[in-house]
Amino acid sequence: MKKEIAITAYKCRKCGKIHYPYHDRCLECKGREFEQIKPEGDVTLLAYTAIFNLPWGFDQRYLILGVAEFENHVKAMGQIKVDSVDQLKAGMKMKPSWEPVRVQYGEDVYGLKFEPME
Amino acid sequence: MRDVAIIGAGMIPFGRRDEDTLMEMLAYASLKALDDAGLGDKSVDAVYLANMGGGMLQHQSAIASSLVDRLSLLPAAADTVENGPASGASAIKNGLLAVASGYYDTVLVVGGEKMREVTGWRATDFVATMTHPQAEYPYGITLPGMAGMFTRLYMEKHGVTREHLLAVSLKNQEMGTLNPYAHVEMALDREGVFDSPHAVVNNPVSADPLHLYDLCPVSDGAAAIVICPLEMAKKLSKPPVLIAGFGQATDTHTLQERDDPTDLKAVTLAAKQALEMAKLKPSDISVAELHDAFTILEIAESEHVGFFKKGEGGKAAAAGKTRLGGQIPINLSGGLKARGHPVGATGVAQVVDIVWQLRHELPKTRQVKNAQTGLTVNFGGFGNNVLSFVLKRVEP
Repeated sequence: MKKEIAITAYKCRKCGKIHYPYHDRCLECKGREFEQIKPEGDVTLLAYTAIFNLPWGFDQRYLILGVAEFENHVKAMGQIKVDSVDQLKAGMKMKPSWEPVRVQYGEDVYGLKFEPME
Repeated sequence: MRDVAIIGAGMIPFGRRDEDTLMEMLAYASLKALDDAGLGDKSVDAVYLANMGGGMLQHQSAIASSLVDRLSLLPAAADTVENGPASGASAIKNGLLAVASGYYDTVLVVGGEKMREVTGWRATDFVATMTHPQAEYPYGITLPGMAGMFTRLYMEKHGVTREHLLAVSLKNQEMGTLNPYAHVEMALDREGVFDSPHAVVNNPVSADPLHLYDLCPVSDGAAAIVICPLEMAKKLSKPPVLIAGFGQATDTHTLQERDDPTDLKAVTLAAKQALEMAKLKPSDISVAELHDAFTILEIAESEHVGFFKKGEGGKAAAAGKTRLGGQIPINLSGGLKARGHPVGATGVAQVVDIVWQLRHELPKTRQVKNAQTGLTVNFGGFGNNVLSFVLKRVEP
């Protein structure tokens, strides 16, 4: 079953700046009150890389990672479901999903994954 | 505030030091700096010790307390300073402020790290603990991974090419062969890592678009300095090196929250503060040690501190302007790229190398002729905590 993307972003009630992750004070106006929002709408890939020297906890040859922006301006990191960075280009539209991104202490840890729309 | 000078500098060779514990490395470097300062059996008022991973990698805490005991510096005040890969410069800043304020007269600052006693997997994970624990770390991002994303964006925005990155790599590894303290003492051959079909094997992609030889090694090592008020330093025989300026600035924890992820604001601010305090311009600097954990950072920092305009740093490196004899010689120690990057030691090692430059103590192959001023940049996290120092030679 498809899982809901369990990321909460924070919109400053004073100036409207979107934050993810959480800050106790707005990075723009120092406001302390935030509206909780969910990432929504089309997703655009901003930056990406493939890493071949993985940290402890990843039993695979490589990982492709990137940062993408949702239509409502929430920006977040995620793993990218392609075989090679040659399939990626900044500005391309991505489909987000919430899936296991690693295993810790025998348990799946869920996070964002992206794959190209086409 | 009093002017503060460096009167002692010491370092041990960086590399894989299986034979030494972290504490031994810190002690060896400290003794070298204390001896260089000519302190003999005298003690110091305080010790600031930079270390990032003793708790995680060696299962050891309160390291500064242990060092003062080992070195018989009791009852000197002792603090451990942890600020990621900028721990070294942070410890120097703490010592500088303590002496400048008049509270202490003589302070030992030492930085060290022992990273090679764990597997590469563990060391990579240890460094990645600097990333955001919810928004970044779970995905497996590493510091080279962040640098990979940054490099692609920087290439697109500022026209940096792989040729430019290669120029930094070749220069710094060549300088490493001339530095007896360097971890990597192996010159690279352009054909072997770039031009020939074998380059794919010799220099594979590590964090796309960065290749193996765009990255610094994982190292063990330690470095130390002794500081005191300038007026006291003037009475000593060696030329004192004045800490003429320092700056420190921070930026967002995650790259994604920066308006322009290619803009290293904390580097710009830290260097600007340091230069303004020293009343100098970038063009007044004789020699620089920049934090080239990745080749792209030497280029980007050379632009952000003001040595070159944005988009010109890569071309300048390729044109030899950052070599010995060039417009602004950068990383004549080999930089992190070749001297190595024991994270807690790096910020102190950069300053030690500049001290040797300003005392004119290095062999001709690495010495900037008549060097009078030097600048360092110590880059913590991925640019979220950066320190810069401007050092100046003072004639005794």
